[in-house]
Amino acid sequence: MSGLPVVFRLSGHSLAYGDHRVLDNISLQIRRGEKVALLGPSGAGKTTLLHILHDQQPEQVALQPQSGGLVDMLSVYQNVFMGGLARVGTLPALWNLLRPLPSHRKAIAALVESLGLTDKLWQSVDRLSGGQRQRVAIGRALYRQQPVFLGDEPVSALDPLQAGLLLELLLERHETAVVSLHDRRLALQHFDRIIVMRDGRISCDCAASALSEAALNAWYRQDEPLESARQPDAADPWLMSRP
Amino acid sequence: MKSLVRAPSSVGAMNRVCLLLLVGALLALPWADLALYPVDPWQELGRIGHGLLLPAWDEPRILLEAVGQTVAFALLAVVISAPAGLILAMLFHWRLVRVFCATIRSVHELFWGLIFMQLYGLSATTGLLALLVPFAGMFAKVFAEIFEQQARDPALTLAPGLAIGKRYAYTLIPQALPALLSYTRYRFECALRSSAILGFIGLPTLGFHLETAFKQGQYAEAGTLLWAFLVLIATTRFWLRPWLLPVYLPVAAWLLPDTIGFSNGGYFWQFVSEDIWPATLRTGDLVGTLDWYGRMLSEQVWPGLLQTLLLTQLALVLTAGVALLVYPLATYALAGPLLRWPGRFLLLVLRSIPEMVLAFVFMLLCGPSGLPAVLALALHNGGLIAFLIANASDAEQQASRQRPDDPRGLLRYAYIETPRRFPALLALLFYRWEVILRESAILGILGITTLGFYVDSAFEELRYDRAFLLIAVTALLNVWVDAVSRRLRHWARPEYHARLRCRQPYRAC
Amino acid sequence: MLCISSNWLRRMSKSLIIRDTTTLIRRLMVLALLVLPALAQAETFVFTAIPDADESRLQQRFGKVADYLTETLGVEVRYIPVKSYAAAITAFRNNQVQLAWFGGLSGVQARRLVPGSEALAQGYEDQFFKSYLIAHADTGLTPTESLSDALKGKTFTFGSKGSTSGRLMPEFYLREHFRAAPEDIFDRVGFSGDHSRTIAQVQAGAYQVGAVNFAVWEKELAEGRVDADKVRVIWTTPTYPDYQWTVRGDVDAHFGAGFKERVRAALLEMKDPELLSSFPRQAFVPADNDDYAPIEATAKAIGLLDD
Repeated sequence: MSGLPVVFRLSGHSLAYGDHRVLDNISLQIRRGEKVALLGPSGAGKTTLLHILHDQQPEQVALQPQSGGLVDMLSVYQNVFMGGLARVGTLPALWNLLRPLPSHRKAIAALVESLGLTDKLWQSVDRLSGGQRQRVAIGRALYRQQPVFLGDEPVSALDPLQAGLLLELLLERHETAVVSLHDRRLALQHFDRIIVMRDGRISCDCAASALSEAALNAWYRQDEPLESARQPDAADPWLMSRP
Repeated sequence: MKSLVRAPSSVGAMNRVCLLLLVGALLALPWADLALYPVDPWQELGRIGHGLLLPAWDEPRILLEAVGQTVAFALLAVVISAPAGLILAMLFHWRLVRVFCATIRSVHELFWGLIFMQLYGLSATTGLLALLVPFAGMFAKVFAEIFEQQARDPALTLAPGLAIGKRYAYTLIPQALPALLSYTRYRFECALRSSAILGFIGLPTLGFHLETAFKQGQYAEAGTLLWAFLVLIATTRFWLRPWLLPVYLPVAAWLLPDTIGFSNGGYFWQFVSEDIWPATLRTGDLVGTLDWYGRMLSEQVWPGLLQTLLLTQLALVLTAGVALLVYPLATYALAGPLLRWPGRFLLLVLRSIPEMVLAFVFMLLCGPSGLPAVLALALHNGGLIAFLIANASDAEQQASRQRPDDPRGLLRYAYIETPRRFPALLALLFYRWEVILRESAILGILGITTLGFYVDSAFEELRYDRAFLLIAVTALLNVWVDAVSRRLRHWARPEYHARLRCRQPYRAC
Repeated sequence: MLCISSNWLRRMSKSLIIRDTTTLIRRLMVLALLVLPALAQAETFVFTAIPDADESRLQQRFGKVADYLTETLGVEVRYIPVKSYAAAITAFRNNQVQLAWFGGLSGVQARRLVPGSEALAQGYEDQFFKSYLIAHADTGLTPTESLSDALKGKTFTFGSKGSTSGRLMPEFYLREHFRAAPEDIFDRVGFSGDHSRTIAQVQAGAYQVGAVNFAVWEKELAEGRVDADKVRVIWTTPTYPDYQWTVRGDVDAHFGAGFKERVRAALLEMKDPELLSSFPRQAFVPADNDDYAPIEATAKAIGLLDD
């Protein structure tokens, strides 16, 4: 493994918002072919770390943000298609909004079938459940067809069985992957390296084989803060003037 | 990440912006021209009231034609300027585009009308351009702001460096579609108002007859026209349906007035190369030119600038007051399902009556000074903002975001509705700033020498060189106001402080 | 509104069938013509007029004048309503209108912009036009022979900014008498935009003093719209020439030799009181550019025109 080229590298990286340290002296190397799980309580800095990694190699990364990044007004097909936008010219891409391009239609139908969403292909994504939306987001990441996958809780809304299957699919289609997770068992089952973060620091970075679930739980035990729900944004006057 | 939101208080930032506006207004107060004069208005006001209550009009055909043409101009102008604005909004990251848009917005529709008359004569083309040029600038600004408020996540999942058209077509435009459509619908209402106003230069819209009736003191006819206009605006949502557009557009094109007797290419080239430059500059007289600019600066630009800023600042703060005071009257949540109707009617009246008419009435009441201008601008714009935030409140009511234990009445107003509306109100207020700036042009009856007053005089005296300089100054002021309001608005936005320190503009960081 | 719009639609659809489809196409082309100057019918003689009193029903009233001119001149004559002096002058300069009923000042401005254009005729009353200064009774101002010093410090309104009788001449005499600009004589100077508005505003006390066209004042007085207890005339300007018909110099080239003189003759022979009442004038009498030299000089003197 150590002979393969380095994809991501951070040395002594820190990031602060005001007095609040989000990342504190992070040093890290991720090589091609590594499958890394990112664990840690909320607020530990996982999302920020993923975005920083994304900025290092944007052109070979398929990113799946926590929100999924779906566009509500578009159908499942279009939302997956967006992953392949770079492979299509502007005019065909615009035409595709009116009438799906035949070649993509076939590929996406097959992909969506493997996600178990065939009957939803032409539905706009705002009609889907949380789990279905997450599968569409996975579909888009897969359709990006990139060597590296960065996922921020990519399977959090799925049932354990489905989560495992789709995680397997994502890892199989990407040479390198860094995925933040809450589910420790999934991390141990599917990844070969596990990084645990806490308060912006890496508190453990070791091979999955060296860890057990009990050992991982220990990292979480101390005063885990509850996720505070974020208030919806009320700053948009036009959105609100809708009848 | 969550703790990040609590670091700097967004409420604190908003309060500081409000305080800044208030202090600005207080500082303006002693300098502004707000004299009160003893007046004797009751006879005239009686006649106005009589005319409004007992409207009369003997030729329904003319009225219908005027209504038709008002709608036709508004519809076509919006249909052309909305896509143009969309394209400009997509390029809004270029400063040049922002400055261009702020410039075309800063010129009043009536002046655009006079400028395009050089090229197209008094024609439908002139009328359309006079509407759609400033409207494209406004669409661009507001669309760009709407885009700015969309989540960045979808764009992050795309390949980097995609062509701008693809990126917008798949992320920001569909993301923002409801907001874009809702704003376009609202803008159509504004277009109806502007289209009516175009009658003031001779296009056969409602304003053509309204101006006449009002000027001649034929208040019964003026009343009819105002009522017709109110009905037109109040019913917009019933007849303006997207699926009817294919029917409406050809009808609108057919309804546009014929161009009578204009066959000439216009004086546009001469207008651009000669008319708008001072004679001394054209003859190469450098000293004379400097003298000309110096005199304009000290006699018109500087005093005009000062008056404009004072008036605008006061009107702005009063607008906020009016909006906060009247919006609850029109909401489900505060006025109730029945009592909100009189409130909604009040807002309809406030936002539909041309400022000029309001200013005239207030002048009768308190004499000529900045006071009627401030009152007229504040009532009109306050009514408009109140309408938009009352709509927002009602939309929320329908989406039932309230809890059973929410307080009612005054407490609800103070603890729930107003805090929720406040960011929107502030955003709208900054946006009206430049509208107020532009509208101050038509208040010459009050003898307040704003920049607009001098622009109007320059056009009236056919001194396009002066008009051009004054418009350029107004445009610069508008660009500046735009930049300041952009900054203040960002500053007052809850996520701003989080985003500022984040190099990449993602939501989740 | 629903019924109006359905009526409107019905009317539209009915007319759409009846009317020649080419009309529809032409109107649709207005949109396409956004980038091109409009190309309309060439040989129509077009005029405009901004009367000093009663602007209502312009189209109907002046339509009759257009009919009269069509009949007398033997070419198609059309009227277009223009509402502001600036717009009227622009249309005249653009050759969109070839003949215009201008005020004294707007005529001078138009003729300066269109070399070769000529004043053809003026109203009988326009040979000795005058303006009144009117004041609200509460000011205590009384009619005087010469301008009273008591005017100083009052609030004052002109009519429209480009009006001869509502602005130019009163301002000239005020400047001449007080040796000061109006802003320096009065506490406040406004522009009501129209003579009727001036009367209404002074009567309501919004302004204490105003300058108004004598003809409009007399008309409103006769119609009982002026309350003599509240507003009265306190000073009258010396007489000056005002409204006139101005024609472009190139009409002979377009409409045939001698066309200009035929237009002049047609105007002078307009005797129908109904037509004349649109202006409103009792008759038209000959006029030429020189008659308006005093107006031009005055406009230059008060800085409304450059040398």
